[in-house]
Formats: sequence, structure tokens, C-alpha cells
Amino acid sequence: MMVLLLSALVSLILIVFGAVCSLKDLRLSLAASILALIIVLVSSITTQLFPYVLLVVAIGILTVFSMSIRENQISGVDYSLVALIALITAYIAYTNDISFILAAFVIASVPTYALVFVSTDGAKPHVDVALKYIVFMVLATVLFIIGTLFLAYSNSSGNTMLYTLGFVMLILGLGMEVGCAPMHEWVPDVFSAADPLPLSVVASITKIVPFVAAYKIILLTALPQLSKLTIFVAFIAVISMFTGNIGALTAKETGRILAYSTVANMGYVIATLAIVTSKNYLYLAFAGALLQLIVNAFGKASFFASIKTNGCSRPLMYLLALSFIGLPPLMGFWSKFFILTSLVGAGLIWLAFLLIVNSAISIPYYLRIARNLAGETFPGKVTAIALISSVAMLITVLPPNWFVSLAKAFFGGV
Amino acid sequence: MILEFLLIPLIVTFLAPLMRPKLSTVVSAISFLIPFFYVIYGLAENIVVKQHVISLVKPIGEFYILGDQISFSFALAICLVSAMVALYSLPYMAHRFDEMGREFESEYRKYIFFYDLYATSMLWLVFSGNFIMLYIFLEISLLASFLLIYMYGYGDRRKVATLYFIWTHIAGMLALIGFLLVASNNGSLAFNSIAKIGFTAWLLIFLGMIVKLPGLGPHVWLPWAHAEAPTPVSALLSPLTVGLGAYVILRAYLISPWFIKKYMMPIFIYGVISSVYAGFMVFRQNDYKRLLAFSTISQMGYCLIAFCLGTYGIMAVIIQYISHAFGKAILFMTAGGIIANYHGLRDITKMGGMHEYVPTISNAALIGFMNLGGILTVGMFGEFFILKGLVDTFGFDISTILAVVFVFIISGLYSFYTFKRIYCGKPAGYEKVKVNRLLDTPLFVIGVISILFIFPPLANILLNAVKTGVIKAAILTIGGVAP
Repeated sequence: MMVLLLSALVSLILIVFGAVCSLKDLRLSLAASILALIIVLVSSITTQLFPYVLLVVAIGILTVFSMSIRENQISGVDYSLVALIALITAYIAYTNDISFILAAFVIASVPTYALVFVSTDGAKPHVDVALKYIVFMVLATVLFIIGTLFLAYSNSSGNTMLYTLGFVMLILGLGMEVGCAPMHEWVPDVFSAADPLPLSVVASITKIVPFVAAYKIILLTALPQLSKLTIFVAFIAVISMFTGNIGALTAKETGRILAYSTVANMGYVIATLAIVTSKNYLYLAFAGALLQLIVNAFGKASFFASIKTNGCSRPLMYLLALSFIGLPPLMGFWSKFFILTSLVGAGLIWLAFLLIVNSAISIPYYLRIARNLAGETFPGKVTAIALISSVAMLITVLPPNWFVSLAKAFFGGV
Repeated sequence: MILEFLLIPLIVTFLAPLMRPKLSTVVSAISFLIPFFYVIYGLAENIVVKQHVISLVKPIGEFYILGDQISFSFALAICLVSAMVALYSLPYMAHRFDEMGREFESEYRKYIFFYDLYATSMLWLVFSGNFIMLYIFLEISLLASFLLIYMYGYGDRRKVATLYFIWTHIAGMLALIGFLLVASNNGSLAFNSIAKIGFTAWLLIFLGMIVKLPGLGPHVWLPWAHAEAPTPVSALLSPLTVGLGAYVILRAYLISPWFIKKYMMPIFIYGVISSVYAGFMVFRQNDYKRLLAFSTISQMGYCLIAFCLGTYGIMAVIIQYISHAFGKAILFMTAGGIIANYHGLRDITKMGGMHEYVPTISNAALIGFMNLGGILTVGMFGEFFILKGLVDTFGFDISTILAVVFVFIISGLYSFYTFKRIYCGKPAGYEKVKVNRLLDTPLFVIGVISILFIFPPLANILLNAVKTGVIKAAILTIGGVAP
């Protein structure tokens, strides 16, 4: 534990140093951010959660790289902000302390406020979009934090009324933060109007922390009342899946399709929270949720980066799209597979059915994304990002048993 | 031992794109012929192998390779057809790329990779010993075939490919929920540790596979996909892939047969209606490939009928799969032969007396139609076993016998009616062309083998093995209703 704390401190110092260096030399701040992430990786090498940290650091470095494709108003500082998000995403796995979880939740969300503003090539900052985004995010954070406090308080006092209120607020806050329908208002507007490069951060890595936090908080503060409340989550999941998929099917711009696809993906993930009370399938459900978030992070980072450069290598784009559709043996299959297995096992067959209907609806638009983005040009950095993402999609050619044991390690003390 | 033979095509899949087109074609064909001979050996020696691959978390269970007589019989058809169609692909795809205005060598590398992946995944599918493993290969085969249609199909190929993808993906996913229900009831999905398949699970698996098979109703995707796919892909889609739906039902049946036994009558009637309807539709088609696609639906109706007919029926399903695979592969390749030689000629109304112009292809087509009609080829045994099972199951019930005989007669009728329309009659006035050797020799190889299977020793080997396999499975699960 000491090593982890110490390396977190070193990484933070490096990140701040990187932000300061941006005044002098951008390359230096890029190197500092990446070095900070590598220290995070090395410090966790002996822990059980190493594969998770490895994936998160990989996504972190990818998103830092995608920020560096073009210069913007805060170039250099943005690398540090992204590295900070990646750092907190890695470290939230190790904690079971509610105050730290809440702090992580805020730290993972606040840097994106600045990122949404930026624009490249001397264009005006996207103030309208960013304001809309920030208003929603602040509301989400407040809901989430107050919900958590209610949960924690009612857990010790046994007040079920307050517990219900807290749970609903937590889920609403979570939904608003990640973009679950019907709280998804901001997603399509922001995703189609803001600059694609910061979106490759906002749409990908920032989605992991809220879910991990929600899982941990719900499990830490669980009351028997919980089993009656999970149906509420199931409804949100269904609404989110359908809104997302039908929206994406009818959207025209690639950015908007990706926005709705995020809404749908968050629906799949939040569906797993509906079976949080089932002892036997909890780990499988969480493994599915986490894997889906990682697939989403890799895929969205690559897609948004490719939008910026008007295209990327054809096979890579199709591979990522097929992974989103959920074809074996790509990673996107295993995430959906774990989610489905846990839903069926815990008795929510109807929800599994609707998930499958949605997975079929999603086929045409993912193919359309791939077709829109596939180009003959090979812009270096974007191709590298998409290539690494594709390799990540292929690591599950052998069935990922290790991921389920990883999910178990997540809740060591809970 | 078996794992090594299965790994050959898998390794070749990844090596073939690195070679020059001619070499990669030959290597691919050989990589399927080696397992083919192993499969014949396995059938002759009646061996049953089980090889552990990997163990997964609790409700999924062990992945293992299961080689019993049933797997071997299905693999027999898959290996031979895949090898021959691989050879056939070389001249055909050269024509297709030329037509699409693409560069031959680079496109062929992509093509051969997906082709090999497609065929290999089907081969692995029939050796899977776990429903999830089976599902994974089902989806890989779907992916590869989808991409082949998407990239090289005819007509509105992207739309057709997406249609195909959506339907079969739904089919696979429905079956997947069924499998998962089985998993949560039994704690494992390995074939050897499932005790019972419950009602909902059976229903979902059955419905999913009816879409894939396809039965009447969910068949809408099939004529499109099979007609618009590039012909070598059609020659795998129609003979091999759709029948794998029957294979999945067969595996579920051998584990827990109660569902089909209980709902025997509705399934039987549904099978007859599917077959007759599709048989009549064949008469109305004017597109050679679309015609063959409808004939596939009709032939798969046979499988549905056969499922209801006890042990002999199950034997008939297996033989029917093999004979249909041989016959339909030949016929799709004849359609492709005409397309390649006469610049995309598919319209039957513009054909007539084609025997004059492409005699070798015409002769091959005759063997193909004989396979469909069950005349003097391995299909003969299929029809024999269906009738035997029918009499065993229903007794001498004149109405069911008439229904089945009617189905057989329609198949025979449309086969020879089509043959007459295309290859006989007044010549339509084309130039006689020299047919590329690879566009007709593979057809005859399949044709000759399909005829060899009605003579000893091959006939003995196949029938004995199928009988042993089915009876052994029957004793294990059904409890001694063996003949």
C-alpha cells in the first residue's frame, strides 16, 4: 500500500511539473504525463489488479496522444489533465473508502470541464457547448454526492425511506454523468458540436470511474431494501438502450451517431447494476460492465480521433466496429457475453432479451460509422491509436478467465 | 491427435494471405483435404476422441474438442466442399475482381483470408464440445461470410449483407440466451455435463436455429443472401452454413430429446409445409442462384421432418446434410461457371440448351440435381432413412407417407424441370467457350465422391459410423430406443 501511495504522489508531482513545462516545451509535458502513467503502472505490478491498471494506462496514454494530434489553447496542460483522469481511474480500484471514492469521482470529472472548451487550428473556443456540458456535470456530481451521503447515513441509521431517496439520486447522478437516457440531453449536442479530440477523452476514459464508484458505494452501503430498488435501474437501462440505438440508427453525422452509441453502451453497462444483489453473478456482471467500459473507451477514443483527421485505416475501423457489435472472439463479445450470462443467471431474462434486440439494431449504424471513417489515408498518430485499440480488442481471442478473477479482486474487502 | 489436424486449416488461414494467389489457393485446398482423409479414417475406425482445450468460469464450463461419428460425418462434407470451392475460387474471383475493376492480387489476399477463416470456423464448430464454443464459431463464420458478401457480393451488396447479418445475428443471440439458461440450470455448458434442457431454453435454441436453418417464415433473408453472395461464398453458405442450424438442434436433441418428441407433430407439419412451399417457389424463379436458394429451404425442410422420426430420422438428418452439401455445392458452382463464362448471365429465361456450350458444367449439374432428388447418390440413403423412420414412428399411416413422398416428388420434379430449362431445349445462341479447368474439375470431384458413397467400402463406412454414433448417443441419453 505504501508503494502505491508513494508512486501516486510522484506521479502527481510529475503531472503538475508537466503542466508547468507546457510554457516551455510541449514535448516535455507530453513526456512527463506519460512517465507519470508509467509509474502508476509499475507501482501496481505486484498487485492482483495489474491487468486492469495496464488497460487503463493504455487508454490513458492513447487519449494523451489523441490530444497531441493538434495543438489547442491549453496544449500541454491538457496532457496533464488527461493523465490525471487516467491516474485516478487506476487508483480507484484499490480503495473502499467512501470519501476517497467521492473525491475520485470529482477528480475524474472536473478536468473535462476545461477540455470541452478547447478548439484547434485557431478556431473560437466552444463556449456554448462547454457551458451546457458543465451545467449538466455539476448537477450530476451534486446528485451523486448527496445520494451517496444519504446512502451512507441511512446505512447506519436504518432509515429505508432515506435509503430509497439516496439510491434514486445516486442512479440519476450516475446516469447524467455518463449519459444514460433519459438524462442524456447533453450527449448528442456536445458530441456533435465540440472538438473531436477532447471528446476522445470525454467519451472514453471518463466513463469508467463513475461506474466503479457507483458499484463500490452501492455495495458498501447495501441494505436489504436494495433488492426492491434494482428494478428502477433495469428500466433506466432499457430506456437508455432503446434511445441510444434508435437515435444512432437515425442520426446522420458520425459524431452524433457516436453520441447515441455511447448512450446505448451506457445502457448495457447500467443494466448490470440491476443484479447487484445476486451473490453468484455479481462478479460476472461487474466483469461484463468493466469490460464493456474498456471496449467503449478504446473504441470511442479511436473513432473520435479518426473524425478529426477525416478517416483512418479501413481494416482497423471495421475491426473496432465489429467489436462494438459484439462478435467473438473480439473483446466486445466477451463483455456482452458476461453481461448476458449474469442477467440470465440472475433471472432477468426479459432484460437479456431486450439487450439482444438492441444488439441487432446496432449492427447497421456501427457499419456505417466504419464506412464513414474508413479512408485510404494513413495519418500516423491516429493509425497508431486505432492500431493499439485493435490489438486490445484482440487480446481476448483466448477466453478471458483472468478478467473475471480480476473483477473478484476489485471487491476484496467489500 | 485431432487438435493437430484441426490446427492445419487454422494456421493456413493466417499464412495464406502472405502467399501468391495460386499457391495460397492450392495450400488452402490441401489444408482442408488433410483433415478430410483423417475424417474418413476416423469414420472407418469408429474412433471417438475428446481433447481438453481450456476451462472457463463456473456457468460456462470446459471447452473441449469432441470428435464422435456425428462430428466426423458433418466434417466430411465441410472438408471436401471447402477444399473444392477453394480451388474453384481462383478463376471465379479473378473474373469477379475484373468485373468490379479491382486489382487482383491484393484483393485475392483479403479474399482467401476470409474464405479460409469462414471454412475453418465451420470445421471447428462441428468439433466443439461446449455450446459456447459452438456459438463462438457460429458467429465467426457469420462474420467472415458477412464480410465476403459485403465486399464482393452482387447487386445492392451492402444492404443484403446487413440484412443477412441482422437475421443470423438475432438467430445466434436467441440461441445464446437458450444456452445461458441451460448454463444457469446445469452449472456447465459442456456437452458431457448437461443433464437436461428446460422448456424455455429449448424453445429459444429451436427458434434461433429455425431462423438460421431456415424454416418457412424467417426464411426471408436467405434468397437474398445466397443469391447476391459471390458464388464461391454461396457454395459454402447454402450447402454448409445453413445446415449447421440442424447440427445445433441435433446436439441439443442428443442431450435432451424431450422437446422434439413432445412437439413432434407440429414440427413435422411445419417441415412438410416449409419444404412444399419452397419447392413450389423454385418453379417461379428466373434467377439461377435465387432458384437454388429456394431449393435450399426446401431441402432443409427434410431435416425438420427427419428430426421427428426417431433414431432413423436422426441418421437421415446427417446423411441429408452430406448429400445436400455435395449437391448444392456442385449446383452453385455450375451457376458460377455460367456467370464467369457469360459475363454475369443468371437469368434462366435467357438460357436454354446450355449443354451445347458448356457440356462439362451441364454434366456436373446433372449430378448435382441427382443429389438433390436423391437418385443414385448418397442422398438416396437419406430418403430411405426418412421413410424407414416414418414407418417406425407413425406405423403405416397413409397420410404422413403421402405427405413425405409428395415432398420427395416435388424435389425431383423441380430438379429435372430446372435442368431441362437451363441445359436442354433450344440452344439460346451463345458462343461456345473453353471452360477454365478449375471451374469444372472440382465439381466432378465432389460429384464422383457423392456417387462413390453409395458403393462399398465408403457406403459401409459412412452408414456404420452414423448408425453407431446415433445409437451410442441414443443409449446414453434417450435410454434404449435404438433399433
